[in-house]
Amino acid sequence: MGPLDKLGEEIDHLLAELGGMDMFTFSWGSITTYSVWIIIALLVVLAIFMATRSNLRLVPKKGPVAAVEAAVDYVRKDIGYGVLGNEAAVNQHMPFILTVFFFILGANLIGLIPGAKAATGTFSATLTLAVVSFVYFNYYGIKHSGLWHYVKSIGPAGLMPGLNVMVWLIEFMSLVLRVVTLSVRLFANMYAGHIVLGAFSILTTLFVLPVINEFTLANLGTGAASIAWMILLVAMYAMELLVAVLQAYVFALLSAVYVMLATSEH
Amino acid sequence: MSGSLSIIGYGLAVIGAGIGVGLSALGATQASARQPEMHSKIFTTFIMGCAFSEALALIGFVLALIK
Repeated sequence: MGPLDKLGEEIDHLLAELGGMDMFTFSWGSITTYSVWIIIALLVVLAIFMATRSNLRLVPKKGPVAAVEAAVDYVRKDIGYGVLGNEAAVNQHMPFILTVFFFILGANLIGLIPGAKAATGTFSATLTLAVVSFVYFNYYGIKHSGLWHYVKSIGPAGLMPGLNVMVWLIEFMSLVLRVVTLSVRLFANMYAGHIVLGAFSILTTLFVLPVINEFTLANLGTGAASIAWMILLVAMYAMELLVAVLQAYVFALLSAVYVMLATSEH
Repeated sequence: MSGSLSIIGYGLAVIGAGIGVGLSALGATQASARQPEMHSKIFTTFIMGCAFSEALALIGFVLALIK
């Protein structure tokens, strides 16, 4: 009887837990564990920004306020001026991009606290975010160049008749697929990351259990293997911290790129 | 042996995306080694390139799930 006997069972339990569970059921639907974590992420991010706002000074203080200011400044410089370019566009679209960035960042980081769930670890949440981004850049595209010109600008100009319809169709498909890629990228990264973290913590626990149950030399060997799993777990946790920040950055960056593509002349 | 053949299709889709991400990482490291002062701009472009080539693998992932 090895420590790996119960692994399949535990993994099934982990997957069921990550799938989300109904907490309150109503006639119109139900509130799942993920809904609660979305609200928690929203409140935490809101609280941090309210606290920062009331502490804003011309000369920034050290500590949390300066950290939030630096993060906002980084997104504004890197994504805003780097992608959108001019001052007017940055001022117009930054509120949306900063909101998306900090909500996803907050949700991802909260999900890394053991016992908590990432609000972005469920497909419905990321799909909603992607649809919001999709509607946003299409709205500003249509507002910028008018409905007909916007629809025409999806495909490149200057192609011969016949071919331009085909290219337009392909470009239109890739435009619609942006919703899928935006949402699946975020969801798959967070979901897979949590499965890996969960699997390593399960393995750590399973390998240390024999030592606790019966203290023999052979069991001490499996206990030593548990330390190796734990080191891997810590390494993966560091990796997930990076992924959490990177995915928030990628989502905000791509939203900005799509807005830029929609509002620039072709 | 049991399982779905679509997973193999997903694996095939990932090969292309892997090559794409690898090439963009190669380009980004070479470019920022030559011009370190452009690093932040190159990084943004690198992430964008990764995201666009990753999109193809993600489409494969979705198709593998919906069969």
